Amino acid sequence: MSNQVAAATRRKDKSASALVEICSVRLGNALYGMPISHILEIVGGARPQPVPLAPSFVGGLVHYRGDVLTAVSLRQLLRMPPLDGPQDILVLESSGGCFGLLVDSVGEVLTVPAADFEPNPSTLDETRRDLIAGAYKLQNALMVMLDPERLDPVRLGVAEAA
Amino acid sequence: MDELTREFLIESQEGLDRMERCLTDLEERPDDAALLADIFRSVHTIKGTTGFLGFKRLEELAHSGENLLGMLREGKLAVSAPIITGLLHLLDGLRSILKTIEADDKEGDGSDAALIENLDQLQSPTKAEEMKQATHARTSSAKSHFEPRQAVPAEPPVAAVFQEPAAVVETRPAPPEAPTSPASPAPPEAREAETTRAKAAPGTSAAESTLRVDVTLLNRMMNLVGELVLTRNQVLQATSADPKMTLLSRRLDMVTADLRESVMKARMQPVSNVFSKMPRIVRDLAQSLHRRVRLQMEGQETELDKSLLEAIKDPLTHAVRNSLDHGIEPPDVREAAGKDPEGTLRLRAMQEGSHVIIEVSDDGGGIAVDKVRAKAIERGLITADRAALQPERELLQLIFLPGFSTAAAVTNVSGRGVGMDVVKTNVERIGGKVEIDSRVGKGTTLRLRIPLTLAIIPALIVRSVHQSFALPQGALSELVHVSPEQAATTIEWIEDAPLYRLRGKLLPLVFLDRLLTPAASGDNARDRDSFIAILDADGRRFGLVVDGLADPEEIVVKPLSVALKGIGLYSGATVLGSGDLALILDPSAIAMKAGVTMTTEEEAARSSEAETADVENRAEFLLVEAAGRKAAVPLGDVLRIEQMPMSRIEYVGVRPVINFDGQLLPVDDTGGVLAASEGNPEAQVVVVVCREGNRHVGIAVSHVLDVATGAELYEAGTTLRTQGVTLLKECVTGVVNLGGIADLVADVTASNEWSPTAEAIQ
Repeated sequence: MSNQVAAATRRKDKSASALVEICSVRLGNALYGMPISHILEIVGGARPQPVPLAPSFVGGLVHYRGDVLTAVSLRQLLRMPPLDGPQDILVLESSGGCFGLLVDSVGEVLTVPAADFEPNPSTLDETRRDLIAGAYKLQNALMVMLDPERLDPVRLGVAEAA
Repeated sequence: MDELTREFLIESQEGLDRMERCLTDLEERPDDAALLADIFRSVHTIKGTTGFLGFKRLEELAHSGENLLGMLREGKLAVSAPIITGLLHLLDGLRSILKTIEADDKEGDGSDAALIENLDQLQSPTKAEEMKQATHARTSSAKSHFEPRQAVPAEPPVAAVFQEPAAVVETRPAPPEAPTSPASPAPPEAREAETTRAKAAPGTSAAESTLRVDVTLLNRMMNLVGELVLTRNQVLQATSADPKMTLLSRRLDMVTADLRESVMKARMQPVSNVFSKMPRIVRDLAQSLHRRVRLQMEGQETELDKSLLEAIKDPLTHAVRNSLDHGIEPPDVREAAGKDPEGTLRLRAMQEGSHVIIEVSDDGGGIAVDKVRAKAIERGLITADRAALQPERELLQLIFLPGFSTAAAVTNVSGRGVGMDVVKTNVERIGGKVEIDSRVGKGTTLRLRIPLTLAIIPALIVRSVHQSFALPQGALSELVHVSPEQAATTIEWIEDAPLYRLRGKLLPLVFLDRLLTPAASGDNARDRDSFIAILDADGRRFGLVVDGLADPEEIVVKPLSVALKGIGLYSGATVLGSGDLALILDPSAIAMKAGVTMTTEEEAARSSEAETADVENRAEFLLVEAAGRKAAVPLGDVLRIEQMPMSRIEYVGVRPVINFDGQLLPVDDTGGVLAASEGNPEAQVVVVVCREGNRHVGIAVSHVLDVATGAELYEAGTTLRTQGVTLLKECVTGVVNLGGIADLVADVTASNEWSPTAEAIQ
């Protein structure tokens, strides 16, 4: 099962250096990665406005540059308990437009060799497999990669309806 | 498509638009050399550029047009109706080729031979004359004074601009064919219009100081300005403590406000952009429908947001067509009715507060209200009783109902109606309103009320589930405050359905918090203040119960993501002045979701019947309290409520009386209010002055509580002073028997034990 992030990374490999920049995000104790090429901006300390009756994956609305963005709650997607207090938002660009991704906090940006990427193992749980692209093998840990295309609220909405 | 071609297309289209305007003007002022020069320039520019870009077909067509225009310009040929028609055809031909180029980057392979031949023929004066004779019968006489042989002095453009056009009109020789078709001289107002138009004659300098900007760029600027405004608000809040920063931030504040206004202005365009299309439409329609129409336009400089301007183009065209087709009568009919055979169509634009009003009025036949009424009853849109009661003006609005538009019979007899619902729908889509006013034989006026900008709507900010929501003011008709104490009685229930009695009519209620959090426990008691926003959404009337009200605000509507549109309750989101986000509630979607149905005319009629039947059983009462007990006084009998000091109360025997406007007014003190304050001349008492037959009586009470509607209960026992009891605010309340009080006056000495009549049985 190939995916777009991996495909994009591989294409990059051929053209230039084999290095990929990844923004790390923290969620509880876990660390996830998001390719920096898909991030428009990181908004810190946001308090999204809840939307009553919205699908469960919607963390709320956030104001971004005069536009109102729908924020996807990563916690909700991964079936984690909600977090009180301000959260960080990654403003991501997908084919369906811009949206926000609510995470506990945003960490440092890592540069890793693209060759260290491995797709999802076949044993991964179905629901997670829909959100996770694969992982980069870091020296002492795995950086689980998120796929912006798969986190797009429009796509998630369709998936939920189905 | 390369940049050069695109540039050429835009420029040519603008040129052709201008040419179209000038051509219709030229018809009225055939000897205006400046107009001719302008038309010539448009065609010439196209010809020149096409040769350069290699569009042969376009070049050939433009060339033949240029030849004809050249002859006109040099005065070898005079302007005539067939020439104008020919030039308009040329315009259409050029436009269609431009369209093809825009679509496929190629000219297409159509043939323009016929058109070119026609243009060439027009160049020979005799031919033109023949054609003119042939077409004369059907062209309006207004055009008949364009005599081909009549020498038109070839004035240099500059001279013409400064020449007084009114003078031109007057010095023009009377048309020889006048007897067969009387040509009316231009009326004074038309001449004035000409004067102003000539003064505003095409100035090329305007083009040099303007710049074409992509609309998407403007939209983006608008968004960024919005962002800046919010950041400014936050800066203002954060720096309010520091005096130095306050000064700077105040400046930031001012600059931002100015910037915002400028960007808004940049999106505004004069309505003349849409109006300018009308002369051609009117001309073509008048010819094909054999009408004689004079078009007057006013307020063309009124500005409107570009997107709105686009949106009103179709409704306006529709309205103009309707006016010509069904409004203005054929010349012979008009003459028979003693009117000027030439009809007048007026387009007027003006700004009124935050709205722009656009009026399309004609002096045609008008709409026969009786016919509308008959048709509406026939179609079951309205009941006969109701129709009889409705004012004519309201009946006229019925023609906007979809049922009317397709009714051919109405169209024929009443004179209007085709697609009026389309006009209404289009205008309402952009938040506007349509009204119609018509007088039989005098004409019809259609009024479009358009908001200045689309993106900004007035809304009331309401609070519920600890969040702010925006409620569009358009749907809001009134607000009712319900205090926690009142909540138990004012909000009534039929099983699970909450209801509110609004002036005696039951109104379904929708609790916003329950609608939004269906999982929450269904607890009916409301221990906090609530507000009922009475909404009217597309005929669905209901009360929306919210927890609080904030200020009304002009909100900028932002679209919601597709993922959230599925919820269906929100029409968008907005950023409030505080920087918070608020969802915009969609009243009609809420009504639908809550199952509020549309009140059809039939239902409304039935409920109004029920209401009339109820009137006998229902009456309004003034709810008073005397010494801790509640009593009801029929409101119809209450003359006034007076507060007065005890010193004004006098006694005749044991009966308290007051001197009320020279009349002796017996005061009923069955509640013991006066007795309690006796001996204290400073104490204030409230006396409700009532009418009983021809006499007046007063009732001393501690407080006046409220006015409420009560249903009489005949089963209740009666005593000397109670005529009965009534169900008031869900409490059985005693009604004060005024007759009983008045009887006592005759026998002031009679001592009476007061029985607790005015007692509230909780």
